[in-house]
Amino acid sequence: MTRQEILDQLTQIFQDILDVDDLVVTDALKADDVEEWDSLSHIQLIVAIEKHWHIKFNAREIMTWQNVGQMVDTIVQLLAEGN
Amino acid sequence: MAVNSLAFALFFVIVFVGMFCPWTMQSVRRQNAWLLLASYVFYAMADWRMVPLLLAATGVFYLVGHMVDATVRAQSWRAASRWTALGVVMGVALLVVFKYLDFLGQSFAALFAALGLRCTWATLHIVVPVGVSFFTFKLISYVIELHRQRIAPARDFLQFATYVAFFPTLMSGPIDRPGKFLPQLSDSQRFDRKKAVDGCRQVLWGIFLKMCVADNLAALTDSVWGAPESFAASRLVAAVLLFPLQLYADFGGYSHMAIGVGKVLGFDVAVNFKSPFLARNIAEFWQRWHISLTGWLTDYVFMPLNISMRDWGQVGLMLAVVVNMVLIGFWHGADWTFGLFGLYFGLLYIPLIIRGKFGKKKRIKAGAHGMPRWDDLRRMVGTYCLVALGFMLFKADGVASFVHYCQCLVRSSLFSVPSLGLPVFTYVGLAMLVGCEWLCRDREHPLQFVHGPAVRSRGMRWGIYYLLVVCILLFQGQTQQFIYFQF
Repeated sequence: MTRQEILDQLTQIFQDILDVDDLVVTDALKADDVEEWDSLSHIQLIVAIEKHWHIKFNAREIMTWQNVGQMVDTIVQLLAEGN
Repeated sequence: MAVNSLAFALFFVIVFVGMFCPWTMQSVRRQNAWLLLASYVFYAMADWRMVPLLLAATGVFYLVGHMVDATVRAQSWRAASRWTALGVVMGVALLVVFKYLDFLGQSFAALFAALGLRCTWATLHIVVPVGVSFFTFKLISYVIELHRQRIAPARDFLQFATYVAFFPTLMSGPIDRPGKFLPQLSDSQRFDRKKAVDGCRQVLWGIFLKMCVADNLAALTDSVWGAPESFAASRLVAAVLLFPLQLYADFGGYSHMAIGVGKVLGFDVAVNFKSPFLARNIAEFWQRWHISLTGWLTDYVFMPLNISMRDWGQVGLMLAVVVNMVLIGFWHGADWTFGLFGLYFGLLYIPLIIRGKFGKKKRIKAGAHGMPRWDDLRRMVGTYCLVALGFMLFKADGVASFVHYCQCLVRSSLFSVPSLGLPVFTYVGLAMLVGCEWLCRDREHPLQFVHGPAVRSRGMRWGIYYLLVVCILLFQGQTQQFIYFQF
């Protein structure tokens, strides 16, 4: 799966959870950029992403993400390890 | 030295002149050194005995932060976690020793006595360092943020110590995070006229809230809570309903002053309140009330808890919220009333979580004639009443005092017309506060003119400033200490 494909699928997940139809997820996107992205919806996003790709993040990974790009890096890494 | 006193005004003028004199402005180190000196003088004037403690805690956390950063750079994650844990444990120990030791000792002694075991606890009467709850949280957040690789370490001890002791926020917050504040101490500050003017306006609004609203309302609430049996129950109800406004005018007023003073010196200090009484449910209220504290606990307590319990679904979320709220309660003080205060608000989240309304953000929109829509207004009033009930635990001087007050509420005088004995201007001040909360809900403070005739007319702006100054001079209440100074 390419990085762009992951970003496209993340866009769908983010739109569903955050309830923002026109949101486009990019590597640079941060929680501060989206009003609806707060501490609670962050956890909902993580749970939805884990279910979608059948992966499991650890707490340290989640805590150190500073933007979507770093989240995608972890997804790519976990998917590669899964294969 | 209260921030709304003449002594503070004189102190501030000296700091300001020193900060922006040509010699100091040549170097960021000189500016930081000057600010640090001013902050320690300010702290010493509150309690000189605690200056060595502040300095020692700052030094130890600077070294621990250095170790966290070094181990993170070396990718020695286990060692980095150990150093971070050491920092967190030391911060918590600092709070426990100075703030909670007597409370814990007495509580355990009472528990053992209830179990029939003989146990005595000699009260130690430890002096609580001023502002310990605030600067300890800054110290802890520094090591955690380094561990999470969200910040670069402080360039030198001077920069770090100035962040920890920055005098406008040292005593009662807002609790600045290192990620936002440390970079502001990296370059020398230039005088920013626009920002300074905005800061002066914010200070003026803060003084008005504190002296004209909070101090006047304190006369009512303090007398009623002092001897509730001496007053009609309807007056007790009025005191309960007015206390959140008093607390907001007091702490919100202080926060405006601290942020405004920071702006005049060129700094952006964390926001602490966002029109809290426009909240339409309890979750929204805590997103608007004492934001620098709730944000701190959300990042370092709620999030890790919620992440670790995310597979438990709603139950995990409820547990994380309740634990977080109880900690917010106990942060305020070493008494069971504060624990119950947190538990009460934590339990109020549960219906919201079950109904899926926790976290759903809906922007407040004005209805007809610019007034709140009926549905919003109904929810705001309901939320305010729930908050007022919870704040009884905040105001009560112990569980016995709370129970006694509740007993005094159940009397036939509950249905009498309350006579509050407040100066007439207090009602005007309250109306101004409530009106400004609604009309200026998208601004940092009401004197931040963004539209209307005050933007175009300089005369009108100055008229408003003079009016507020006259109100402060004529209608101020008896000077009261800031409520949050005790924390």
